[in-house]
Amino acid sequence: MKAVENIDQNYLIKQLPTPTAFVGKNGVVMDASDSWLEIFGLVPTKKKRKLKILDFFPEAKDFQNNNAFSLKHKNIINDNISHFESSFTPWFDDNENVLGSIIQTKDITSEVEKELEIERLKNILKYKSEAAKIGWWEYDVLNEEIFWCDETKRIHKAPDSYRPDINEAINFYKSGFSQNRISMLFHNAMTKGDSYEVDLIILTFKGEERWVRATGKPILKNGKVVKLFGTLKDIHEQVMAETKIKENQQLLTTLIDSLPLNVYVKDLESKKVLVNKAECDYLGKSAAEILGKSDFDLYDEKMAQISREEDLLVMKHLKPILGKETESAKKDGKTTYFLTSKIPRFDLDGRVNGLIGISMDISAIKKKEEQLQNLISITTIQNKKLVNFAHIVSHNLRSHSANFSMLLEFLNYEENQEERGKILKMLNHASDNLLETLENLNQVVDVNTKTPQLKKQLNLHDSIVKAQQNIVAFSEKNKARIINNIPKQITVSSVPAYLDSIILNLITNAIKYKKPDLDPVITIDAFLENNQVCLRVSDNGLGIDLEKNGDKVFGMYKTFHQREDAKGFGLYLVRNQIEAMGGTITIESEVDKGSSFNVYFNEENE
Amino acid sequence: MKKMNSIFIVDDDPITVFGIKKMLKPVAGCADIQIFQNGKEALNEIQERVGGSLLPEVIFLDINMPILDGWGFLEELISMNIQQPITINVITSSIDPLDLEKWYYYKARCPHTLNFKNKPIFKIELADLGYINVAS
Repeated sequence: MKAVENIDQNYLIKQLPTPTAFVGKNGVVMDASDSWLEIFGLVPTKKKRKLKILDFFPEAKDFQNNNAFSLKHKNIINDNISHFESSFTPWFDDNENVLGSIIQTKDITSEVEKELEIERLKNILKYKSEAAKIGWWEYDVLNEEIFWCDETKRIHKAPDSYRPDINEAINFYKSGFSQNRISMLFHNAMTKGDSYEVDLIILTFKGEERWVRATGKPILKNGKVVKLFGTLKDIHEQVMAETKIKENQQLLTTLIDSLPLNVYVKDLESKKVLVNKAECDYLGKSAAEILGKSDFDLYDEKMAQISREEDLLVMKHLKPILGKETESAKKDGKTTYFLTSKIPRFDLDGRVNGLIGISMDISAIKKKEEQLQNLISITTIQNKKLVNFAHIVSHNLRSHSANFSMLLEFLNYEENQEERGKILKMLNHASDNLLETLENLNQVVDVNTKTPQLKKQLNLHDSIVKAQQNIVAFSEKNKARIINNIPKQITVSSVPAYLDSIILNLITNAIKYKKPDLDPVITIDAFLENNQVCLRVSDNGLGIDLEKNGDKVFGMYKTFHQREDAKGFGLYLVRNQIEAMGGTITIESEVDKGSSFNVYFNEENE
Repeated sequence: MKKMNSIFIVDDDPITVFGIKKMLKPVAGCADIQIFQNGKEALNEIQERVGGSLLPEVIFLDINMPILDGWGFLEELISMNIQQPITINVITSSIDPLDLEKWYYYKARCPHTLNFKNKPIFKIELADLGYINVAS
């Protein structure tokens, strides 16, 4: 009976699908399923075998205790490793006495392999994250727990032991924009399932500001966000470098756009690849309209050809052109003077790839230079006049004072009354002369200091008629004929008093220095010469030997004919008056034929 | 009192002419004192006298004159190559160094004695009349 039972039991156990073995208290395997035996490489047999459990599990010495326990072990068969877990459960009889242990062995190879794979993946992730300096984090929505990897801690400069909660994690972001933004993104990720990637500033554990790139991605389960996973990368150096580059670019752009110079960069074909604001303004085009164009598109062909040849020289011989004065005519015909420099431009490998051009508009300077030259010549003339005038003053005043001294010396010693009377008469004469000289000088000073007086447009014909009326007695006495050929519409720009003085002096001179045997004929014309009105007064009088006296004609107190009323002042005054108005006076003369005076009026109102 | 044959005064200023004549009176006895308004008139007279009547022994010469000034007169006189010595006194109120330079220039070229007298003149010295006063 017992045997039958045994056999039945045996047979039952043999077929158990879960590998199972029964061990007696003595450590001998009493029975085992085929599947169990197979694990240990044993073939099922009907023969009695004495299998000791400690041979299989040397570490299971305490199996006969009442406690259940499990062991992990592995088998290596033909280099194939199999992992198992065996649980030992006490085996009781009806009276709860321990008879032995039930061993159930489970093949856990695939689980172990999975664990190993996870371990491996974790390691890879760790190394990767360390190598890429990309940290990661994970937030468990249910438990409200956040996990930071080591690299994430490192980025925060937090100690390895640091375990943040979600609020702390968010508070690392710089308060203001960064914190607000990450809060919003985190919230959206949780509620709407939106992923994010954003560059923000954190304040590290040490309070240092760092730029980071933060990403976040929700992990969904049954349509609900259960986790958020994200990365963190320290991009501070990169952002700083980019900022620096941007700043440099900004600086460069501001600099070249603010320069009062035309700056441009040309490529090897002399096409413009960069222009600054001044260059755009000069060409009257936007940068977009200029870029890609060559000088042939912007200037006339001749100019462009010259410029292109310069460019080629600079790029070929790598020798810069520096501060060359150039003339640039735009297509509208306006000419500008430049001080131009062209400097070869190289790429990072040191190969020439174009040139940098810098042009300074010196038109204004050129004009100023011209004005300065004019001023210098005016000053020179003025200075000459001044020296001349000083000379006249000293000479003429001196001659009067010398006469006074001499006559007074005579008077001191003269006792003869009649002789004293003569001397006194001379003194009177000297005094009159001095007064007249002073008056003359005063007139000249007036002309030279009170200008510019108001010039008016005056009718030349009428002015002549007026002068004729003023000297009618004088001209009749000398039987003078005055021919006024001036067209009635001609006007000149002149100070009225000066015009009267000029006309009067020229006409009276023409009559005064007539030939003794010929009635004076004075012809007065006017014509345009170089846009200037020229008044011409010609006579048939004595004439002046210009070869001998040319330089003295308009000098002060220079007379050329022995006449009582010749003072040598009229022409000097006339010259001063016309020159003060910006005009000129010239003379043509031949002895015994007559003289012609040409007065050129300056029509500009300066 | 020196006895002189002929003295020319070439000056267009009547006061200076008056002064020179007055100052000549006590130092020179001369019946032939000629006055000229400009260099041209004086030169014409000299040309007429060459080879005939007496040439002036002394000339008082102004610089600033119409038609022919003092320097122009000297230029012409030098070219006439007159053998008889003449004492020429250039009389001027000018203190322009340029006039002094011109005087040096003509003094070097002129075969006659050429003095430079700056106005005002109060007295005519014997040297102005061509005499070197050895006695004093």
